Amino acid sequence: MKILIVDDEPPARDRLKRLVEELEGCECAGEAGNGTEAVTLAGQLAPDVVLMDIRMPGMDGVEAARHLSRLDEPPAVIFVTAYDEYALQAFETQAVGYLLKPVRREKLADTLQRAARLTKPQLAMLAREVAPKQRRTHLSVRMRHELRLIPVEEVLFFLADQKYVTVRHLGGEELIEESLRALEEEFAPDFVRIHRNALVAARHIASIDRSGEGQYAVRLRGHADELPVSRRLATDVLRRFRG
Amino acid sequence: MSSQSSDTAPAQPPAFYLPDFCATPTVLAVVLISELVAIVLTLARQELQHGFWIDLARTSLFLLWIGLSSATALCYSRPHLARLSVARSSAISLALPVAVTLLISEVTYWLGKSWFGGLETGVASLFPADHASFLLRNLFIAFIVSALTLRYFFVAHEWRRNVEMKARLRIDALQARIRPHFLFNSMNTIAALTRSNPGQAEEAVEDLADLFRASLKEARGRIPLKEELEVARIYQRIEQLRLGNRLKVSWQTDALPMRTLVPSLVVQPLLENAIYHGIEPLPEGGTVVVSGERKDDLIELRVSNPVRTLEGGTIHSGNRIALDNIRERLELAYPGRARVDVVSNATEYVVTLTFPLVEPVTEALE
Repeated sequence: MKILIVDDEPPARDRLKRLVEELEGCECAGEAGNGTEAVTLAGQLAPDVVLMDIRMPGMDGVEAARHLSRLDEPPAVIFVTAYDEYALQAFETQAVGYLLKPVRREKLADTLQRAARLTKPQLAMLAREVAPKQRRTHLSVRMRHELRLIPVEEVLFFLADQKYVTVRHLGGEELIEESLRALEEEFAPDFVRIHRNALVAARHIASIDRSGEGQYAVRLRGHADELPVSRRLATDVLRRFRG
Repeated sequence: MSSQSSDTAPAQPPAFYLPDFCATPTVLAVVLISELVAIVLTLARQELQHGFWIDLARTSLFLLWIGLSSATALCYSRPHLARLSVARSSAISLALPVAVTLLISEVTYWLGKSWFGGLETGVASLFPADHASFLLRNLFIAFIVSALTLRYFFVAHEWRRNVEMKARLRIDALQARIRPHFLFNSMNTIAALTRSNPGQAEEAVEDLADLFRASLKEARGRIPLKEELEVARIYQRIEQLRLGNRLKVSWQTDALPMRTLVPSLVVQPLLENAIYHGIEPLPEGGTVVVSGERKDDLIELRVSNPVRTLEGGTIHSGNRIALDNIRERLELAYPGRARVDVVSNATEYVVTLTFPLVEPVTEALE
């Protein structure tokens, strides 16, 4: 059984690694210090199980698990936590495997035996219970067997087109399978709806210019094209950015 | 993105001290006070055998009118008074009964004059004869009695608040002492070190024991600043094992008078917050700065940590509890002379404690 260990604290990783290697038939495939690393490594190493710390800087464990579930062959995820009242309640009700630090060897062996992939509803529930109001730090795009992560900070805008949404970010352009409405709900007020089909990152807006009679367009830093502001939303957008 | 917030509230919003004058116990108290004053006035005025009961009845009736009308006036104005400062609301609460007394005295005088003025005997003698002296005396008495009553309510309220605060502090202190998260993480670190680095594990256990001992001692009150800073350093050592070089703490506390007394565990929780909310969420870590200086008779102690830019300026609820706890303990130790200020912006979160310098009493004097 290939196991990926994810924890931001080196001593905690060392201990888990030692415990894993002492178990028969288990090997530590790799170690990651935060959620982003975990997602990248999981794509490359294709582990069977990920031992995932919850509280980590940058991307936390629950978000990393959500991204991992989008892999073709997602690994089973077992959460490891020192103390987290809400998380424990959620794990119990959702029958999600978890371990408490300091981890006991027998408990680890037992939980690894029963490790199962997390389902979408389980993950949605966890995201709500464990980190309410917390938005994702990254978007994930599936690339063959791996996941590519796009930091939300680097996203310039989302553009909806029939079935897909295009993400334009500092590093290029990608298609994702999420609805503009859900994205707007998750990332407001950092992202602003300027058109029926466009959601723009407030932090990247360079200017809002008049483009015609009662018409406005948004210009973004690091992007040549202008995005039109719909007449219906023009007042809201102008009020927000011009006071 | 940059949000600027400053929080300079004193230990607690000064809760309004006047009781609800519509509530039965308070009305009863007003009746009791009116009656007692009536008895005192009657005793002072009359030969005991001569018309005592009639005079008492007359004075009681008059005073009960004043007492209950004042209670009504205070009851209705209480919501407005509660919004004012203590000094202003006290002045108004004092003026109201005096005004009511003036009104009722006036009505009584004119009532007596116009209805019974013609009668030679009996009822007329119950009413005052001299207008000016009657009014003046009543106003003076009303002023003094109202002032005493207000003072009584104020002291009773302060006493109750103090008792409640102490009880709550005891509970808060128990909860705020050691975060469970910290305890279990430390245990985990020690478990990891026992094999890889037994020497360090041993030190960690000793540090943890010292930290717990310090937190249990809390009820005993004030300790020298030197000791408090030592506890904070012990805490830092334990966290350092876990976070490695992601955690840096810069101590700029040499200028502080180390012998001054402080309530125990006022610095360590600030460091804990700074690490938990400031350093841990940063992938690359950061530096917590603990600095302090003496300004005349005051000591200023600052703990600052970097903030993750995306959520700059947010104050977590756990942080609030710890800050409120420190604020209350400082207030209890130095009533009205200590402050806890929080300033946060997009890059930094700074907590400043200001409290008076207290030199320990020398051994010989004890």
